[in-house]
Amino acid sequence: MILSKMNASMSLSRRRRERKAFRAESAYHATGLAIALFFLAPFAITLLASFRHGTEARLPPLPPWPVNGISLDSYRSLDTFGAGVWQHTFNSLLVSLATVALTVAVSVLAGYGFSRYRFPLKNVLFVLIIATLMIPFQSILTPLFIILARLGLNNSLFGLTLVYVTLQLPFSVFMMRNAFDAVPKEIEEAARIDGARDLKLLFRVLMPLVLPGIATVAIFAFLNAWNEFLAALVLLSSNEKYTLPVLMMAVRAGRLGAVNWGAVQAGVAVMTLPCLVVFLLLQRYYMRGLMAGAVK
Amino acid sequence: MTDIRKSFGSLEVIHGIDLRIAEGSFVVFVGPSGCGKSTLLRMIAGLEEVTDGEIEIKGRNVTDLDPSDRGIAMVFQSYALYPHMSVRENLAFGLKMARTETAEIEARVKAASAILKIDHLLDRRPGQLSGGQRQRVAIGRAIVRKPDVFLFDEPLSNLDAELRVSMRIEIARLHRELGNTMIYVTHDQTEAMTLADRIVVLRDGRVEQEGTPREVYENPANIFVAGFIGSPRMNLLGGTWLGNGRVRVAGSDMSVPIAGEDLQIGDKVSFGARPEHLFVTDGGAGSIPAKVDFAEYLGGTQYLYCQLADGQPLIAEYRSGPAVNAGSTIMLSIDDNKRRLFAADGRRLT
Repeated sequence: MILSKMNASMSLSRRRRERKAFRAESAYHATGLAIALFFLAPFAITLLASFRHGTEARLPPLPPWPVNGISLDSYRSLDTFGAGVWQHTFNSLLVSLATVALTVAVSVLAGYGFSRYRFPLKNVLFVLIIATLMIPFQSILTPLFIILARLGLNNSLFGLTLVYVTLQLPFSVFMMRNAFDAVPKEIEEAARIDGARDLKLLFRVLMPLVLPGIATVAIFAFLNAWNEFLAALVLLSSNEKYTLPVLMMAVRAGRLGAVNWGAVQAGVAVMTLPCLVVFLLLQRYYMRGLMAGAVK
Repeated sequence: MTDIRKSFGSLEVIHGIDLRIAEGSFVVFVGPSGCGKSTLLRMIAGLEEVTDGEIEIKGRNVTDLDPSDRGIAMVFQSYALYPHMSVRENLAFGLKMARTETAEIEARVKAASAILKIDHLLDRRPGQLSGGQRQRVAIGRAIVRKPDVFLFDEPLSNLDAELRVSMRIEIARLHRELGNTMIYVTHDQTEAMTLADRIVVLRDGRVEQEGTPREVYENPANIFVAGFIGSPRMNLLGGTWLGNGRVRVAGSDMSVPIAGEDLQIGDKVSFGARPEHLFVTDGGAGSIPAKVDFAEYLGGTQYLYCQLADGQPLIAEYRSGPAVNAGSTIMLSIDDNKRRLFAADGRRLT
């Protein structure tokens, strides 16, 4: 009798505990969902709107999805701007990927050097590099233009890439130095005893350990190069060399005073997609605890 | 090692060390932190440049060789495993760098993992291992290289007490099985005493004494070694030389078996006696009164933390007899043959 009473009260308290846990968890998930919706809605609305029919595209965006079936009209009309959307996407991709490759290559070597070698004026040099972050790049656009002209690199995608890499390097070198600093010295020493030297040491042992840093540098370099507008507008002069942001400016300005909103939505979709892809590809390297088990 | 010196900038941290280590022996470097024992080991490994002097391994001058060409392998305090590689890859990495044949690599990895009983862990990452397992892998990485000399840099100090004891025994077994020369750095006395064939006591970048554990413990070369080796440490009491083999310590006269020709009456000396050489007596000639501050009961034995008449602290080991309570005053006598006397400059006199 007493036993069953005890059982009953125990199961009662357990049920109360469970109910409480359930409520807490629901609230947690509901909040998360609401925040996610808030952030995803603009992307969803843009993407859906870009698939409306040509005539429907200029109406107010309610409801925010195509009512008369899906159509690629907006993308077709986007293609009539500039040298065609494919050409500009290609330009943008070329510049962005080249920027990523060059930035990563230089900043890994520089970060490794700053982190592990002793040389005169090391800290002065490092501070100087970081200090360039304080200079707004708009203010050096004119000298940059002149330098590129002297080098015969104005109106060239390669020249633009070099400018992007230069702008990207201070942050990236800083990032990579920190990443290398975080690698325990003993790992490097163990590798040296194992016979790995210089570049072999860097590529076989240290690179995998600084991957999170490299991923960060790569993502930033890609996004900044992909979205950069002013330098591209100033340093490029022929239509077929413009990158996507310059094209988007033209689309947004419209023709003869009329803005083709469908084309704008399509352009935004085209510009967003690669950023998403790059981020999704690289975000898993943000993974923490890569160093777990190395020391201690 | 001949006249090894090391400076960081203008600061010399190793002041000319000469040391011969017999092949196949187990040598332990001990000393307080900052004494240069790790630096010395790292110089042997080639991780630290030698400012002056020469290092030979098996008759070959290796002073300017790369770490990987010296025929050494090193086990770090922090394990220093490659976290992105499996245990198997960790073990094989050095051999791969040396372009060893795949079959040979596999055979050596297999042999090493069998010796260390880590064969079931080969496909795991270091992050999935416990501290003891990681240390085994680190030792395994050294074994596969088949080095002439194993270097251990405080390999057990990251492990908990129980694991430390079992790994200590493991390392001793390993030395017996492999028969390589091993050089081991530690600040743990027990490790030093139990593992070593020979102990090298270092202080401030100089060798204070080199000898077997027994020599170092029973016949310390000077007051530093006497105070450093042994736990609890040797009691070192300030006293005055009275001449004729007599010393005054805390108001009592002690006889010591030396003539003391180079001492003047009234010279300051240090009188040394290990806790286990002190006995509780009923009084009598040569005994010295002490007040017990507190008593540490360890089961098999008891340590009495005492104060002499002039306030000098003293530890006595007390094995049998009625319980001694804190606050009581006892009479202590000292084993005649175990009395040590040190001059004011630290030199040992008896």
